[in-house]
Amino acid sequence: MNRVTKRTWLMGLFVLILVGGMTFFMMDYWANAGQWISAPGSPHVNNRSNIGVGTVTDRSGTVFLDIGAERTYSPSAATRKSTLHWVGDRQGKISAGAVSHYAGAMVGFDPVNGIYNAGEAGGITTLTLSERVQNTALEALAGRKGTVAVYNYKTGEILCAVTAPTFDPDDVPDIEGDTSGTYEGVYLNRFLQSAYVPGSIFKVVTTAAALECVPGIQDESFRCTGKMEYGEGENTATVTCEHVHGTLSLKSALANSCNCAFAQIAERVGKDNMVKYVKQFQVVSPLSFDGVTTVKGKYDLTGAGTVSFAWSCIGQHTDLINPARFMTFMGAIAGGGVAVEPYVVSQVTCGEEVTYEAETTVTEQVMSPETARILKGYMRSNVKNVYGDWNFNGLNVCAKTGTSQLGGEEISNAMFAGFVEDEQYPLAFICVVENAGYGATVGVPIMSKVLATCTSVMNNG
Amino acid sequence: MEQLNILAQVQSLVGDSFLGFLRIAAPVVAVLLLLRCILPLLTFRREPEIWAWLNMPDGSQIPITHWENVIGRSKSCDVTIDFSTVSRNHAVLTRYDDGSWTITDAGSKDGVFVNGKKVQISAVHPRSRISIGGVEMHLQPISEKQEIKQAKLRTKAASGWDSVANLMLLSVLQVFMVLGFLLSGTEESMIPIIQGFGGILLCQWLLYVFYAIIHRSSFEVETIAFFLCTMGMAAIATVKPTEAIKQLIALVLGILVFLLIGWSLRDLERAKKFRYLAVVAGVGFLVVTLLFGTEYYGAKNWLIIGGMSLQPSELSKVCFVFAGASTMDRIMQKRNIIMFISYSVVICGLLALMNDFGTALIFFCSFLIIAYLRSGSVGTVALAITALGFAGVIALRIAPHALSRFATWRHIWEDPFNAGYQQTQALMCIASGGLFGLGPGRGMLQRIFAADSDIAFATISEEWGLIMALLTVLCIVALACFVLRTAPVARSSFYSIGACTAAGVLVVQTMLNCLGTLDVLPFTGVPFPLLSNGGTSMIGAWGLLAFVKAADTRQNASFAVRLKGRDDA
Repeated sequence: MNRVTKRTWLMGLFVLILVGGMTFFMMDYWANAGQWISAPGSPHVNNRSNIGVGTVTDRSGTVFLDIGAERTYSPSAATRKSTLHWVGDRQGKISAGAVSHYAGAMVGFDPVNGIYNAGEAGGITTLTLSERVQNTALEALAGRKGTVAVYNYKTGEILCAVTAPTFDPDDVPDIEGDTSGTYEGVYLNRFLQSAYVPGSIFKVVTTAAALECVPGIQDESFRCTGKMEYGEGENTATVTCEHVHGTLSLKSALANSCNCAFAQIAERVGKDNMVKYVKQFQVVSPLSFDGVTTVKGKYDLTGAGTVSFAWSCIGQHTDLINPARFMTFMGAIAGGGVAVEPYVVSQVTCGEEVTYEAETTVTEQVMSPETARILKGYMRSNVKNVYGDWNFNGLNVCAKTGTSQLGGEEISNAMFAGFVEDEQYPLAFICVVENAGYGATVGVPIMSKVLATCTSVMNNG
Repeated sequence: MEQLNILAQVQSLVGDSFLGFLRIAAPVVAVLLLLRCILPLLTFRREPEIWAWLNMPDGSQIPITHWENVIGRSKSCDVTIDFSTVSRNHAVLTRYDDGSWTITDAGSKDGVFVNGKKVQISAVHPRSRISIGGVEMHLQPISEKQEIKQAKLRTKAASGWDSVANLMLLSVLQVFMVLGFLLSGTEESMIPIIQGFGGILLCQWLLYVFYAIIHRSSFEVETIAFFLCTMGMAAIATVKPTEAIKQLIALVLGILVFLLIGWSLRDLERAKKFRYLAVVAGVGFLVVTLLFGTEYYGAKNWLIIGGMSLQPSELSKVCFVFAGASTMDRIMQKRNIIMFISYSVVICGLLALMNDFGTALIFFCSFLIIAYLRSGSVGTVALAITALGFAGVIALRIAPHALSRFATWRHIWEDPFNAGYQQTQALMCIASGGLFGLGPGRGMLQRIFAADSDIAFATISEEWGLIMALLTVLCIVALACFVLRTAPVARSSFYSIGACTAAGVLVVQTMLNCLGTLDVLPFTGVPFPLLSNGGTSMIGAWGLLAFVKAADTRQNASFAVRLKGRDDA
C-alpha cells in the first residue's frame, strides 16, 4: 500500500495544471478583458465588425451616428459621406476601428461588473473631427479620390481626415456593379490604409537628413542644367527637371523643387545616412492611435544604383508614404523635432461617467531642434515666395508641394504637406489628390479652404 | 394572452431589482455552500489505523496499518524485513471485510510457508506460524473491542443536520435561479426550466433520504455534484431549455449507476467480479461505436439510437477505471500487469480507429495514473513502454487529424469570425459578464455552437459571473484534493487506484474543457463532468464519482463502505 499511496501525487499534478491554467486565465482576464470586449464581433457591443451601441459625435457635439437598433446617421448627406470612414457603414464593410476600439469604455466596461451597468443606450464617443471641416474638405476634393487631413500638432487632435471616394450610407450606390471606377477602393480609409508615392514632398525628408549630417550644406551650391546624366552609352540614366534652375542653394533647391540639385544633395548625404534618417524620422513607420494602425510606408534601396538612389531622395523610385504618418512628420518639424501623435477620439462617456479621455502623447526627438528650425524657415519661404501667402489669409503656412509620378500614362498625384506656424492655430496637414496633376495648383487651393474653415472652427471654440 | 401581459409587467417591474439582488446573492450562497461542503472533505483527521500486529521472533511487534500490506526486504514495502533470504517483495498480507486475513506469495524466490507448508495463498489465523525467508512470525489481529474503539476514534462524517443545511442552501440557490429565469425568459421555456431545476432538487433530497435510511450521513461529495448539475442546468436553461428533461433523465440514470457501482465496490470480492464485466463492457462500448457510430468533425464517437445521440466512450472511461483498479496481491503478480497492458493496447487501438483526440487524451492520462500507481518493481518498464506506445499512437495517428483544429491555439484573435469564432465569442462574453454576470437569459453566447457543453464555462460566466464559473472548477479541484487525502488511507489499493484515476479523469476533462474554451490549451471539445449538456457524459461522471466515494473511509460516510457491526446490506 505504501508504494501505491505515495504515488497519488501524479493525479495531483493534473490538479496543479488545472489550477495553474485557471490562474493564468485570470491574469489574462484582468489584463485583457477590456480589449476582448471591444474586439470585432463582440456580441454585446458590436454589430459584427462595427460598434453596435452608443452615439458618436464631432468635437462640438454634432451627432454623426446614433447606434440604436436602427443605426441612425447624421441628417446631412454631406456629413454622412464625409464621416462614413470614421463611423462605419451598416454592412460592416467599412470598419470604424477607432470608434470600436473604445466600445468597452462606451458601455462602461470594467472587469468586476463587465458591461452590466451599460444600460440599453450605451455611451457617447466624442471625436476630435469637426463636421464643418470634414464637409469643406470633401467638397474641396470635388469628386476626386484622395485624402485631406489636418491635426493640431500641439494637442494631437485630428480636426479633419476625409477620404474619397465615399458614399452615403443612407443611399448606398451599386458599388459591386460599378464599372466606371468611381468607387474604386471606396471601403478604404485612405488616410490610414493607403500608401502613396510621395513625390517632391519627400524632399523635405532629404533636406532634413542633409541638414542633420552634412556640415555646411546650407552654404553649398548646386547647379541645375535641367538634366543630370549617370552612366555611359546604352546604360545612361537621367534625373531631369522641367526647367533649367541654374545655381541653387539648399533652400532655393527646395523652393524650386529642383530634381537635379536634389540628386547632388543625395550624393552628399549618402545611402547609409538616408536609410538611417528615414528610420529616425519615422517617415515610413506605421503609426498607431486609438486602436488603429496605419499601413507602413516604404523606403527601400535594395539594389538601387546611383540614379535610383537619387530618385529615391526625390520621392520617386519605390518610395511610399502613408498620409497620416507623413502628417505627423510635418507635426514633428513644427514641434521643433518632436511630434505629438495624432488621435481621433477625444472623450468617451457612459452615463454620467467619463470612461475615456484622450491624452497628448509625444514621440521621442526625431530630429535636432536646429534642423527643425532651419527646415521651418525653408518651408515658410516655399509658401511665401513660390506658392503664395495670399492663399492662406494671413496664416504663416510652411509647406512643400509634390507631384508624384506614377509611371505609364497615369496622371500624377497632387501632394501637399505642411503646417501653420502659429501659437493660436498649430495645425499640420497633408493633402493627396489622386491623378489630379500638380501639387501646387491642386493641393494649395484645397488646403486654403480647409485651413480657413479650421481657423474659423477653432475661433468659435 | 392576459397571462402573457401580466408576465411581461411583472418581469419589467420586479426583473431588474431582483437581478441586481441575484447577481450578488447567487455567488454568496454558492460560496457558502461550497465552503461548507469542501472544508470537511479537506480537513478530516487521517492518522494511520492499526489493524493487526506482526509478532517477530525477537519479541518485537510491527504494526499493520493497512488492509493490504507488502512484506519484503525493499524499503518501499509496508513491512520491511531486512534479511538477505527475504525477497525484495516477498508476500502480501490482506485483511478482508469480515476481519479474516490471508497471505499471498508475491513471486518470492524462497516462497511463503504457513504452519510449515509452502503456500501460494493461505488463510492466516492468530495461531498460524508464518515463515518468510526463514523468518518466523505470528499475526495478531486487533480484537473486536479494539476495532469498535478505533471506529469511534475515526473522524465522523458530517452530522445529518449539516448535510440538510447544505441541501437547503443548494435548494435556495436553485429557487433563486428558477426565479431569475422566470423573470427574464419567454413563456414557452418556463415549464422545462421549472421541471429541470425542480427535478434536480427532487433528486438531491430523495438521494439524501435514501442515505438517511441506510444510516449514511456524508453528503458533501454528492452535494458538490448536484451543485455542478444545477449550474449545467443553468446553461441548458438559457441555451436549449427543451433539453432540460433529457438531461434530468440522464441525471437519474447517473445516480442509479453511481449507486450500483458504489454497491459493487462495497465488497471487494464483488467488485472484482464486476471488474470483469466492466472490462468487457469497456471494449464493447468502443467496438459498438466503431461499428455503428456516426462521424462528426473527423472523430467517430457518436451513436445514434432512435433519435437519441449517445457517446459510449464516456461510459468506457468508467469501465477503464474499473479495469485499472486492482488489489495489492494482484498488482504484485506479473500475469495481472500483462493482462492490464494488453487491455490498454486494445483500448488504444480502438481509440486510434475512432480518431477522437479528446477521448484518447483522457484515456492516456488515466492510463498514466493507473500505470504509475500499479508499477511496483515488476511492471515498471513494461508499463512505461506501453505508455510510450500510447503516446505515440495519439501523436502520430490521432493528433494529425486534430491538428487543423489546433492551428488556432493561441491565435484565436487572428480569425475571430471563422476558426477562432467559438472561443473569441466565449472570451468576449466572459468579459461582458464580469465577475457577477449579466443575469439569467441575458447572455449572447447562447447562439454559439455547443454553448451548453464545450464552452459551457463561458455561458455560465456570462450569465452568472466569473466567480460562479470558477466555483464550478473549484468543485472538481476539491473532489480531487479530497481523493488525494483519502487515497493514502484507503483500505485497499483497489480503492486508492480507482479513486485516484476517477478523480484524474474528472480533472483532465475539466482541464481540457475549461482551458480549451479559454484558449489556454488547444480546444478539444471535451465535456465538463456533471455540467455539460450530454446524457452519456452525465452518467459517466456519476460512475466516476462512485470511485471517489468508495475511498472515503470516514465513519458512516460512504455507502460504499460497509458499517461495522451492522448488517445493512
